[in-house]
This record gives sequence, C-alpha cells and structure tokens, in this order.
Amino acid sequence: MRSLFFKHLRNPRTAKYYLGALAAFFVAAFFARPLFAQTADVSAGAPHGHSFKYFGLFTDPRYSQLEICSLLIVLAIAFAGLAYAYMLARQVKAADAGTPRMQAIADAVREGANAYMGAQFRKIGPLIIIITLILFFTTQSNEIAFRFGRAGAFLVGSLFSWAVGFVGMRLATTGNLRVAAAATRSYGEAMQLGYRTGTVTGMLTDGLGLLGGTIIFIAYGEQAYEALLGFGFGGTLLALFMRVGGGIYTKAADVGADLVGKIEKNIPEDDPRNAATIADNVGDNVGDCAGMAADIFESYEVTIVAAMILGLATFGHKGVIFPLLVRGIGVLGSIISTYTVKAGPNDTSDTALKSVHRGFWIGSFISVVGFFVLGAYYLNFDAAYLAANPMAMAGFPGGDPSALPFWATLGIHNADMRPVITCFIGVILAIVLNKVTSYFTHTSYSPVKGLAKSCQTGHATNIIQGFAVGYESTVATVFVIAGSILASYLCYAGTPPLFVAYGVAMTGIGMLTLTGNTISMDVFGPVADNANGIGEMGYDPVEMEKQEKGSYRRARQILSDLDAVGNTTKAETKGIAIGSAVIAAVSLFASFIAVIAVGSEDKISEMTTRQYLAEAGNLSVANPMVFIGFLIGGAVPFLFSSMLIRAVGRAAFLIVKECRVQFRDAAIWAGTKKPDYGRVVAICTVTAQKELVGPGFLAILTPILVGFLLGTRALGGFLAGMILTGQLLAVFMANAGGAWDNAKKLIEDGHYGGKGSEAHKAAVTGDTVGDPLKDTAGPAINPLIKVMNMVSLLTLGLVMKYNVIDPSEGGSSRIIGILVVLVCAVTIGWAIWQSKRESSELREMEAQFK
Amino acid sequence: MKTYLYMTLLPEALVASHLNPEDYGAYLATGTQKRARGQAIFFKLTDGYAEQQFARLGIGSDLGQPGGPARRSSYLSIYRVLEQVPLTALESLHLITEDGRNLTLKPGTYESDAAPRMHLYQEFCPVTPRVVSTLDPKVFAARITDLSQKVSLPAIVFAELKLERLAENADAPDVDNLPYPNMPHLRDCLREFYTKPGKSTKTVIRFLQQDVLYRTLRKGFYAASAGGGFVYFPMPSKDELETTYYHWWRSAHSTFGG
Repeated sequence: MRSLFFKHLRNPRTAKYYLGALAAFFVAAFFARPLFAQTADVSAGAPHGHSFKYFGLFTDPRYSQLEICSLLIVLAIAFAGLAYAYMLARQVKAADAGTPRMQAIADAVREGANAYMGAQFRKIGPLIIIITLILFFTTQSNEIAFRFGRAGAFLVGSLFSWAVGFVGMRLATTGNLRVAAAATRSYGEAMQLGYRTGTVTGMLTDGLGLLGGTIIFIAYGEQAYEALLGFGFGGTLLALFMRVGGGIYTKAADVGADLVGKIEKNIPEDDPRNAATIADNVGDNVGDCAGMAADIFESYEVTIVAAMILGLATFGHKGVIFPLLVRGIGVLGSIISTYTVKAGPNDTSDTALKSVHRGFWIGSFISVVGFFVLGAYYLNFDAAYLAANPMAMAGFPGGDPSALPFWATLGIHNADMRPVITCFIGVILAIVLNKVTSYFTHTSYSPVKGLAKSCQTGHATNIIQGFAVGYESTVATVFVIAGSILASYLCYAGTPPLFVAYGVAMTGIGMLTLTGNTISMDVFGPVADNANGIGEMGYDPVEMEKQEKGSYRRARQILSDLDAVGNTTKAETKGIAIGSAVIAAVSLFASFIAVIAVGSEDKISEMTTRQYLAEAGNLSVANPMVFIGFLIGGAVPFLFSSMLIRAVGRAAFLIVKECRVQFRDAAIWAGTKKPDYGRVVAICTVTAQKELVGPGFLAILTPILVGFLLGTRALGGFLAGMILTGQLLAVFMANAGGAWDNAKKLIEDGHYGGKGSEAHKAAVTGDTVGDPLKDTAGPAINPLIKVMNMVSLLTLGLVMKYNVIDPSEGGSSRIIGILVVLVCAVTIGWAIWQSKRESSELREMEAQFK
Repeated sequence: MKTYLYMTLLPEALVASHLNPEDYGAYLATGTQKRARGQAIFFKLTDGYAEQQFARLGIGSDLGQPGGPARRSSYLSIYRVLEQVPLTALESLHLITEDGRNLTLKPGTYESDAAPRMHLYQEFCPVTPRVVSTLDPKVFAARITDLSQKVSLPAIVFAELKLERLAENADAPDVDNLPYPNMPHLRDCLREFYTKPGKSTKTVIRFLQQDVLYRTLRKGFYAASAGGGFVYFPMPSKDELETTYYHWWRSAHSTFGG
C-alpha cells in the first residue's frame, strides 16, 4: 500500500495533482479558517495573556471604531486599486489591435512569454508547495492558527507575486500591439496606452500588496508576526525566481540576437530574418516586466511587513495601522496621478517625459499632504493609549509625548509626527535615488559623456572607464541611503534601537508610496520597446504610404520616441528597487536581533531595551564567529552573480549557434521564409528554467547552513556582510551597465563619429559586457538580499535551538543541526555543480548543431 | 534564362550572371553559404552592351567553360575593366549593404554646389584612395581623367563623402557625426589648402581599408572617363531613404565601416 502511494507520488502527473490539491488546501485554510475556525486556547506566545482569536481586533476595546473603519477603508482602497487596474486593462484591450501582420508578431511574442511563464510555474510550483509544508511543520508556535497563518500566507504571498508578474506580462504583451497600432494615428494615444499598460501592473502591485498586509493584520491582529513573515517570504522567493529566470532569459536572448544579428550579420535590431528577434522581445517582457514587477511587489510587501512587525513591537497597534493607512494614501495618490499622465497628438519625447514626471510629482504631493493630515489626526499618543501599550513609552523622552521637540509634534498636543517625517524622508530618498541613477546613467550628464569620450581610444578604455563610473556610483548611492537612515535615526535619537529601526522601516514605506507610478514607468519601457519591434516587423510601409503619405515615417518616429522615453523611465526606477532592498533589509535586521534577544519570535513585543542592546553588542566583528559570517555573507552575492552571468553566456552561445544554422537557409536570409522563432524561444525557456535551480538553492540554503553550522551570531554577521556587498555589487552592476548602454546611445546619436565609427565599436563592446550585469545579475541581487533576510528570520527559532555551536536545547540537539548542515552543504554543492553542468536538453540541442 | 552583365567596383571586374541585380547583390554581399559577408557596389550594364560583349567573348547561355558545368555567374575580365566600358553602358548603380539589401541608383542631372567648398572623395575604381579637394566633382573628375596630367586615370568611379561643417572650415568644432578614422589627420589635410593655396587635392588615405558607410555619402556617385565623359548617379533624398527605401537605409546604418 505504502509503496503504491510512493509510486503514485513519483509519477510527475499524479504528483502534480497531489501538490495542486495541497496548495488549494493551504490557500483555502488561509482564507477560510479565520472565517469559520475560532480557537479559545490560550496561546503560548500571545501577549498580555489574551487567547488568540481571529479578527480579535474587532472586539478588542483598545481599537477604536475609527481605527477599525480606517482598516476597512484601507481594504476598500486596495480593492479600488485592483478595480482601477481592471478598468485600465479593459481600456487597453478595447483599443485597436492593428493589422493581421502586426497581430501575428504580437501573438508570437505573447505565446513565447506564456510558454516561459508556464514552464517556470511548473518548475517552481512544486518547490513552493514543499516550502509551504516545511513552514507549516517548522513553525515554533503550538498554535495551529499561526502554523496555517505562516504557511498559508507564504503561499498567498507567492501567488500574489506570481500574479503580479504574470498578469503584468500578459497585459504588456497585449498593450505592445495596441501601442504599435495607436502610433499610426497619434503620439498621445500611443503614449497613453503604453503608460496605462504599465499602470495596470503598478496598481495590481499596489492593490495586492496592500490587500495581503491588511487582511493578515485584520485576521491576526497583534499576533500577525508569523503570517506577515510568511507573506513577505512568499512574495520575495517568487520575485527571486522571476528575477533570476527573467534576467537570464532576457539577456541570453538579447545578447544572442545582437551577437549574431548586429555583429556577425550586420542586420538591424528586430530584423525579422533573425531567429532570435521574437525571443528578444519575449525577454523584454519576462525580464523587465514580470521580473521587475515581482521584484517591486516583494519590496512593497517586505517593507510593509518590516514596518508592521516593528510597529507592533514599538508603538503597539498604532505603529501597525499607520503604515497600512500610509500605503492606502499612496494607492489613492497613484490612482489620481497616473490618470493625469497624458500626451497630445503631436507631442515629443521631452513633453511625454515631462508628463510622466508631472504624474510622479502630483502623486508625491498628494501622498505627502495625506501623510501629514493623517499623522496629525491619528498619531495621537494620549495617556490611555500609553497605559494600554506601555512599550510605546520608551519611544518618548521620559515616556511623555508632550516632551517631544516642536518639529516632532508640529505643535499638536500629544502628537508624534516622526513616522510622518520618516515617510517623507522615504519619498525624498526615492526621488534622490532616481536622480543619482539618472546622473550616472543618463546621456545628459558627465559620467556617460566621459564614457562615450573614452570609446574614442578603444574597447579597453571604455571598459576601464565604465568600471570607474560604476564604482563611483555605488559610493554616491551608499551616501544617499546612509543619509536617509541617519535622518531617520536622528528623528528617533535617544530612543531604543527598535524605534530607530521602525523609523527606517517607515522610510521604506514612504519610498514605495508611489509604487503604482514607479512600476508604470518601468513597465512602459518594455512595452514601448516591444511596440517598436512590432512596428519594425509588422508595419507595411508601402501600404501605409499608399493610404497616407508620410504616415509610415511618422509612426516609426513615434515608436522610436516612445522607446527613448521608455528607456529613460525604466532606468530611473532601478535605483528605487535596490534602495528599497537595503532599507527593508536594515529594518528586518533589527527584527533579527530582537528575536535573538528574547529567544523567540512570539516574544518580540515583550522585549526590553536592555535585552536588545545586550544582543546587538554581541554582534561585533571582534567576535570571530561574527567576522567569519561577515566574510561568507560578503562572498555570496559574488557567487550568485557569477552563476547568473555564466548562465547568460551559456544560453547566448546556444542561441548564436541556432541563429547561424537558420541563417544558412537561403530563403530565411532572403526574407521569403519565416525563421523558426519558436526554437530560440524554447532554448531560452529551457536554459532559464535550468539556471533557476542553483541560485535559488544558494539563496535559500546558505543562511540556513551558516546559522546551523556557526550559530546565530555568525548568521548576524552573514546578513550584514551580504547586505553590504550585495547592495554595492547591485548598484555597481546596474549603473555600470546602464552607463555603457547609454554611452553607446550617445555615440549613435551622432557623437564621436556616430554609428559605425571606431568609437561605436568600442561602445558596442561595453554595452554587451554591461547587458548581463545590468539586466540579470544586478537586479537579481535585490530579491537575494531579502530572501536571505527572510529565511534567516524564519529559521532563527530553529537555529537557536539546534545550531552546532551553541544549541539552546542542549548538546544532543546538535545532531539535528549537523544533519541540517549536511543536507544544506550537499544541496548547495549540487546546485553549484548543476549550474555548471550542461543538461541533457542542452547537450541534445548542441549535438544538432554539429 | 536572361544573362546580365555587371561591372563590380570592389574588385574591378566584369561579370556575367543569370542572377538579377537584387539577387546578384545579395550573393556578392553574403555568399551562398551565408558564411561570408561584405559590402558590394556594382554597375548593371545595358542589355545592348551585354549582348555585344557576350558575342565578342563567345559566352553561351550556360556561362560555363566549354564542356564544363553550367554556372550562375562567371567572371569575364578582372583587369582594366572600367576603361574598356563606355559610360553610356552604365545603366544603373547598385549599392548593397552587408546583409544583402539593394539600393538602385539611376543616372541623373548633375548640379554643382552653389558656393565653393571643400570636398572629400572616395575613389572606388580603378584605384581606391580617399582624397580631399577644393574642386567640385565634375571639375575633379575632369582633372583626374585628363591624360595630359602627370597623375591621371583613363576612367574613374568615385563618390563624395560628407564633411559637414569641415567643408567650410577645417577647424570647425562639433563635427561629431563623422565616423572617419583619424579625424585630426583629415583636418590637417584640409588645412593644407589654406597654407598652400595652389594645391587642389590632397590624399587622406592611400587605399580603402574597410567598407564605406553609406550614411556618409553626399549627393551620390560619379563616373568619368578621359575625353570629358561624366555620369552622375544621385542618391535619393533623406526623406525617400527614410520611407521608400527604409529597409535599405536601416540596414546601411547597421554597418560597421570607416
């Protein structure tokens, strides 16, 4: 009987049903259990001796009616964001879909993108369900609701993250065709359609992120810690996979298409004779659209999770509800401001860009005003509140809110405006990071101009100069981020470190207030890029010129202008992604110390300042274990990046070979026969899926290995080292790659000899080198940082009990630690070996080329 | 099957082919196995002249050697070809990009520049230097095909390349979009016209080392022969290149040349 069961389970088809059923069970349990199951058992970890009840805040006298109404309003705003996304999606879908020829090309891109997402879902789906089970069984609390909360929230977080990527990408592959069709009529119409396509993904991110956090808090109240962590981890893990897979796909296709098309065959970009053209366009969607959307979604989730966890541990329920309300205001700001982005029929790139920026400013203005009004009304800490939430008193000088300086109260009695100010710092941080990224990567400023100039003296000087620009940009970014953390610290100077961490978390909340606008700007890039490709391949110049003289040229110019605007807006948002990763990581790091200090996640809200400071003091590099962890943590982003960059090289190699074979067909070369686009799409899909495994295991298992082998302090050092080098490396790769890309564009615009000159050749080399840095490895480090943080937090309880160095459960529990270490070490070793090994599918493909 | 007669410029040769100009251009640029590539420039010669040459050389319709296999193309001559071909036989000029796209230029009416300026000429046949000159194309052609001169050619095909603001001022700043190698040397050559007013031409590069970027062509191509023969093959306007000949123009922009 038992063997029959396992035989069934080994059958992939049967296993898929089992896993699907398990997933459905956990999702149903997550949503339905709070509605139908109430427990009266006294929870071991429940603060204040309360028994745990779902939706307990509705009957908890500490929550005012206004607070409960506000939470319901936030929920309504989340749904409003989703409804707005739905409305825009309908508008986009209802737009003219162009000629059958254009539709055929868009269909090929859409099919390729769907095939990729389907393959990825099949690959990581089982892993997600296995992790759900692990989370369920390893939750430290005895309360079954928390087990379902953590595991179910993880599954829901990952599904939301996947939905954001998948729906966003689906719509981008619908919108690109409509933009190309609209460009034959009007600049304004095309621009608006492209931007609104991006806004759908943005509002989906806003809506689902807010919905998840709010539902968890409403259901679990002050005991939402486990569920929040699970939710954040789910979104983060999926984002890592989507970023890694999408990054490998997009750059393998891009580099492969460029190498064989532009360098070998001297054919233009998007030439339909190039078999890699469709894969290149698919890559724009799965990498820049699905990957980036999932990435920002997880930042959105993790920052709210960090703020809510810290809010609970510091200011009590007001500290949790305030970030949710701030997010609600941000969603409203995004709805209003994104709708104002419009362009006229005869506008240009400059005016379109101004309109996009104006939208961002309007959103910022609405949000900031909203924060201050909200803070003035809500952040009132009277004596009754402080009596009910005594831990909040440590956040005020002498435990008295009225002793706060004027700037922190703005003259309002008992008010604490510091969370508002730190949110405002976050908004400023987002704007400054945009500007810093822009300064180092935009053609208008000296770094890129200097880089273009260095191309005159050859390939090597361009590469050398690019490294210099990238390195310098990391310093500037670090100063900006450090400056914002310092400003947040100064707001809470004199209070315990957990309050400071809450301030930093609120900076993260402020930074991602306008996520809707940020993602709209980002997704607009690939949509415009794809529309340009569809125009190139799908427009019929003779027919268009016959219908209206000059229409072909005008439409091409519109698409080219939109592509340029999209490139700029996409580049501007990259700084926010990495900045938010660091801010979230710093906030979560405080939670990490707090858990070690009190010995359990459940007791975090009972922690004293003395406990926190004592534990934080142990995390010193003078401690060899911390330093060893620090070194290992610092090395991991390099190994991770190396795996990804190598993966791009391997995949591009196969694509080049495939394209060369297809170019040998005279009919394809003559343009009378369609190349087999599907084959290159298949190569990219197979390779990207295969390459997901290694980096995924590395991200999940390395902190577990370090924690169980070297103990909690080494794990703390590990996180610090990983955050530091990860952030530096991510910024370096993103900005150096962006600078190389734009230096090439500057030369192509007619500088230093223009297209075809020696300087141009050197610039093309720099751009090719920078491509996998800026679009694969660099962006993937953002989710890496957060995944490692979340894994550390989630496993911390077990690490403290069973680590090999100093287990709290006694010497015999070391055996469990040793077993975990062995499993992790073997799996990581296997993952690294697997990432270097060529799979049977790839070997088979390569054999066909010979 | 129709047989065409072509005169290629790089290298200078007379070729008979069953391939029409588009296919022949693609063949020249990319080869049959698509492993080779390269820009190609050639003239299609008039059918009347072709028949005359085939008859004179005894070329059959299979283009092969007597008793040998039939061929699609066959070289008929590879030395001093241009001087043998009358300018009236030059029916059209074909500019082929590296990926085999064709632009056909037909002879047109020549009009000289309104104001005197400096010119940059790329010679294609029979020799391939790049020279700067104060002479306008027609005068330059007459000068170079004047056999009474010490340095002269019986016939020549050349094109004018863009100099942008350097055409008026050798020291002009902001001429960033000129992709020529060693720009300081080009400026030095132009400056010589100021220091040596009697000088009208100066060699910039002794022979063609890489493909010429079609985007740098100004006005068009010129063919001239001793005795005053002169034919002008004008380039389409920028508007036409960006609409009617869009694919050729885009392909031409993808080329790496010099």
